[in-house]
Amino acid sequence: MDQYSILGRIGEGAHGIVFKAKHIETGETVALKKVALRKLEDGIPNQALREIKALQEIEDNQYVVKLKNVFPHGTGFVLVFEYMLSDLSEVIRNSDRPLTESQVKGYMMMLLKGVAFCHENFIMHRDLKPANLLISSMGHLKIADFGLARVFSNEGDRLYSHQVATRWYRAPELLYGARKYDEGVDLWAVGCIFGELLNNSPLFPGENDIEQLCCVLRVLGTPNERIWPEITELPDYNKITFRENPPIPLEQIVPDATLQAVDLLKRFLVYPAKKRIRAKQALLHPYFFTEPLPAHHSELPIPQRSSKKSRQHLQHPYEFTVDQPIEESLVDPQLICRHAELLHRDR
Amino acid sequence: MYHNSSQKKYWTFISENELVRLRVQANERFRSKLLATEQVGISESTFLQPQEEAALYKHYEKRLLDFCAVFKPAMPKSVVGTAGMYFRRFYLNNSLMEYHPRIIMLTCCFLACKVDEFNVSSTQFVGNLRENPSDQDKALEQILEYELLLIQQLNFHLVVHNPYRPLEGLLIDIKTRYPAVENPEMLRKSAEDFLNRATMSDAGLLFSPSQIALTSILNSAVRAGLNIESYLTECLGLKEDRNTYTQIIETMKSIKNLIKKYEPAKTEEVNLLKQKLEKIHNEFSKVLNQKRRKGYEEDGHVTKKAKTEVCVFLIVVCHTFILFSRFIQTFLH
Repeated sequence: MDQYSILGRIGEGAHGIVFKAKHIETGETVALKKVALRKLEDGIPNQALREIKALQEIEDNQYVVKLKNVFPHGTGFVLVFEYMLSDLSEVIRNSDRPLTESQVKGYMMMLLKGVAFCHENFIMHRDLKPANLLISSMGHLKIADFGLARVFSNEGDRLYSHQVATRWYRAPELLYGARKYDEGVDLWAVGCIFGELLNNSPLFPGENDIEQLCCVLRVLGTPNERIWPEITELPDYNKITFRENPPIPLEQIVPDATLQAVDLLKRFLVYPAKKRIRAKQALLHPYFFTEPLPAHHSELPIPQRSSKKSRQHLQHPYEFTVDQPIEESLVDPQLICRHAELLHRDR
Repeated sequence: MYHNSSQKKYWTFISENELVRLRVQANERFRSKLLATEQVGISESTFLQPQEEAALYKHYEKRLLDFCAVFKPAMPKSVVGTAGMYFRRFYLNNSLMEYHPRIIMLTCCFLACKVDEFNVSSTQFVGNLRENPSDQDKALEQILEYELLLIQQLNFHLVVHNPYRPLEGLLIDIKTRYPAVENPEMLRKSAEDFLNRATMSDAGLLFSPSQIALTSILNSAVRAGLNIESYLTECLGLKEDRNTYTQIIETMKSIKNLIKKYEPAKTEEVNLLKQKLEKIHNEFSKVLNQKRRKGYEEDGHVTKKAKTEVCVFLIVVCHTFILFSRFIQTFLH
């Protein structure tokens, strides 16, 4: 721990506090996630184990946040991540004007590359949402928070929990209590995030689990066996019935989107998980190859983390920022002129 | 995937000699640690010899596997394999005299359940111990106390690749592409037995899980009176590649020998050694353990790139220094 000097607090997760810190040897800024183990009757929390497991076994990828180190500390341990300035939820919240089409494409492309990489490595994230998509100071998007990630296998007999994923991004099979599911849950979430980027507001903002299902059903129409054969096998299918209603064309849900954007969105937001377009295929969709082309990461907005107040709190006194007027970071010439005179006299 | 796993990178060793060396080292490290405490009554005969530790290790490993075998609800094979591998990795760098195998063994099982997503609650877990409730609580307390030490000694490398999945894969492959075997399912039983025995050898520290699984299949075929070596040439693409072919045959021979040479620990010997072990733990190791409880930090931690980072840092410092002195020089002239 004495290898790092703490610069401030970033946030609080389910199992500990996240700090911004500087690695003293290299001067590199990192995020430290402290996992404390006091009074936990089941010992080290599964979420922490999953995070270490998922991130340690995959190769470095540009679109997945990097676990740099793990070390024990006091009664727990600390996960060291690369430091990221912001996240996509803040980008959506703070942008004064809606994102341009090319910017949305840029984010979607990075998100899909990250998701494709995870799925190729047999990892399903299970909790994709804008707040878990971190944005670096260079504008890069990286997937983070693997606390719910699972290595999936095709053994078939393993049951998973359906209480995963943040409600707004939870796939319909999970809302119906599915215990066996696949990477399709991530692709549903990708669709929701896509819609949110296009509209600048969440697509299915349910207030509770039942209402969440209503939100989805209102748009996609009441599901039946014909369009979603597996639905009859889902645990909660018979527990709740909804009034029949036809689907609303997605064109009306994302009114400002182009035809190709709507076409891609449609491929994510379908009931049967197996029919959702895979991340790798989605990257080949014409959407990404028509003008305006995806924005380069340097053309993407980089909001500062949280409000101005806490930002000042975080800031290192000698840190240089682009926003600051240059006079403020300069040393007062009056203070050094005497020293300069001394040097001059010596000559 | 195995190919970019921590298992391949950090926990696969070149030779059996290397493993012996590490274990002897662990034994010696403990010796000097305990001698340094200068307690009265410690002599050369107090300690377990490396081969004695090995015998005791076998005994506790068997207990670990027996515990898993009767565990309720039934434990998946991969969890058992992972627990066994944790136990093996732990005592590669630690002495049984320092950390009592009885508690480390349970901690390994407990952690394996969690890592492999075999979700049992902690009370359910200790409910499997044939002890009264108060002893179960005590055991749980100890498990939780040692969990962090264990994960640290494993260098936070939690994923273990077991040979059970590759075995399934090979069986499927044989069923679909190698009609020479009429009923591939009949190879399963003996192959699985082979893998169970492999858990009690160093095979997992020396070879890849798929190599072990392949050996188990070929071995099972031999026992059934079949020769399926042509599977290697016809289906695994080794027909043209004689080099790899001879290599894999050699590897399989070594794996078989490793497993063949296993002998269970003798009960009388184990009982004698246990007395010695208890004595060390009760009379001497306490001092060391008290120290450990104070904090885990002193053991040092896993830094992936610390060394290179220091180098880069030094180079940068040198450069700045040179630049700075030049700057001063120009001023003085």
